[in-house]
Amino acid sequence: MIEFVDVSKRYPNGQEALKRVTFSLADGEMAFLTGHSGAGKSTMLKLICLMERATSGQVMVNNKNLNRVGKRKIPDVRRDIGMIFQDHRLLFDRSVFDNVALPLMIAGYPQREIGRRVRAALDKVGLLSKEKYTPIMLSGGEQQRVGIARAVVNKPPLLLADEPTGNLDPELSAEIMNLFKQFNQVGVSLLIASHDLSLIAQMHYRTLVMKDGLLHQDRRAENYFEEDVL
Amino acid sequence: MSQDTLTGARFSQGATFSAKLSMWFRLHRIESKRGIKDIFSNPVSNFMTVLVIAIALALPTGLHIFLQNGQTLFQNWDGVSRISLFLKSEVSDNRLQQLAKEIEVRKDVAKVTVISKTQALEDFKQTSGFSEAIDQLDINPLPAVIEIQPAGNVISPEASDAMLQSLKALPEVEIAKLDLEWVRRLHAILQFAEKIAAALSLALAASVLLIVGNTIRLSVQNRREEIEIVKLVGATDAFIRRPFLYTGFWYGLLAGVCCWVLISGSLYWLDDSIRLLASEYKSQFQLQGLNLVQNLQLIGVACFLGLLGSWLSVGRHIRQIEPR
Repeated sequence: MIEFVDVSKRYPNGQEALKRVTFSLADGEMAFLTGHSGAGKSTMLKLICLMERATSGQVMVNNKNLNRVGKRKIPDVRRDIGMIFQDHRLLFDRSVFDNVALPLMIAGYPQREIGRRVRAALDKVGLLSKEKYTPIMLSGGEQQRVGIARAVVNKPPLLLADEPTGNLDPELSAEIMNLFKQFNQVGVSLLIASHDLSLIAQMHYRTLVMKDGLLHQDRRAENYFEEDVL
Repeated sequence: MSQDTLTGARFSQGATFSAKLSMWFRLHRIESKRGIKDIFSNPVSNFMTVLVIAIALALPTGLHIFLQNGQTLFQNWDGVSRISLFLKSEVSDNRLQQLAKEIEVRKDVAKVTVISKTQALEDFKQTSGFSEAIDQLDINPLPAVIEIQPAGNVISPEASDAMLQSLKALPEVEIAKLDLEWVRRLHAILQFAEKIAAALSLALAASVLLIVGNTIRLSVQNRREEIEIVKLVGATDAFIRRPFLYTGFWYGLLAGVCCWVLISGSLYWLDDSIRLLASEYKSQFQLQGLNLVQNLQLIGVACFLGLLGSWLSVGRHIRQIEPR
């Protein structure tokens, strides 16, 4: 699903965010990306959804070589990736329904299909009764779940989440993680950047540990308990 | 929980072509509504923008109407070139009649009209409204006039000029004037004014583009965050551009209608005074406004300028906004 080969990223200000990172995420695999802030977690996610370009090396997503994706083709790549943000990134002047419907409208789905899929996604995150609300009327956890519904509504094969539980209390965080688990069970690949180590420890999934732009450790789910994460 | 809809991740195959087409129409409907809602969400400042555009459109349109009317007014006088001979005051009435006969027999003359000094004074009394003042005069200051209508063979400016010179040479003639001259001058002036109007139209069309472009630029900046978000969920530039293009179009349409109201109002306001002026000149002249086709053209041009201004502005500014 995702393949990094010798990927480096240097920002225009000279900061080296990634140094020759190589890893791959299999189809249907779920993994956490962790490390202290500035270690390169966000840069990795940004390279995958083409918010940034690698300085060198090769990034493959959905068997597409992102180095060869032109500016005009970026939307096509992003439509196959569901993205979840710490700050939710919702449109506050539109209803919950319209927010979730956005990716489908962009892709040009027929209206009946949009209604069906949006309600299914909202049902999944438990917000079906609040489709007519605007995001401002919702709590932080609910807003995050709207963001998740939007990310999964067009059934992308890959979900990226950047600190999805950053602003949530442990109980809500566990709920969100449960949702992710359910998506993974139906075959979605997930890469979740988080520094919530205790939460990651409870989950028993593969964990990539970044440190100073290097892939410091790649812990498989099966030998998770053998060592500490950091 | 409806599991069925979330079973099995797959690469998005997108929608069928017909579904995309119907979505395309639906989006146009939604975005056109959103565009007009945008304008009415801030009615005062947006109405001022519309008014500025309308005035910029009304100036060249008004000038165009003025020229159009000028042309119809002077068109009828085109073919009639007449030569007026103003005679010296010492020429007697007898000599005047004699001279008229002499001229009438010339080959290049079609018709001669004689206006004696007394007749000229009578005419002037009647038309000028100064009859009482004129009665006070001891002597008649007006010259006798022989009006000559050239024969059909005198058409070219050179021929009429040669004729004018030969008549000017007569010893009794004080001034010889070719009436066509001022008509020609007027035409030259009208042509000049037309060019100025064209230049003005271009300049004001450019300013309309700039006004719309700038308004749209501000609107793009206001919705920066929204643009970032829709880019992140896979929107193409065309998708993002659409509502702004609609806003530009609506600005153009509203401004076109406003301009039409402004022009019609001004013409209505001017109509009475023009009628009065025309009646003073014993003319049936009536101010002609724009006809239906021209009105539609005006509104069409306004819509086009709105759309173009927004298109020029929005592409550039959307490209600058990338999600971070």
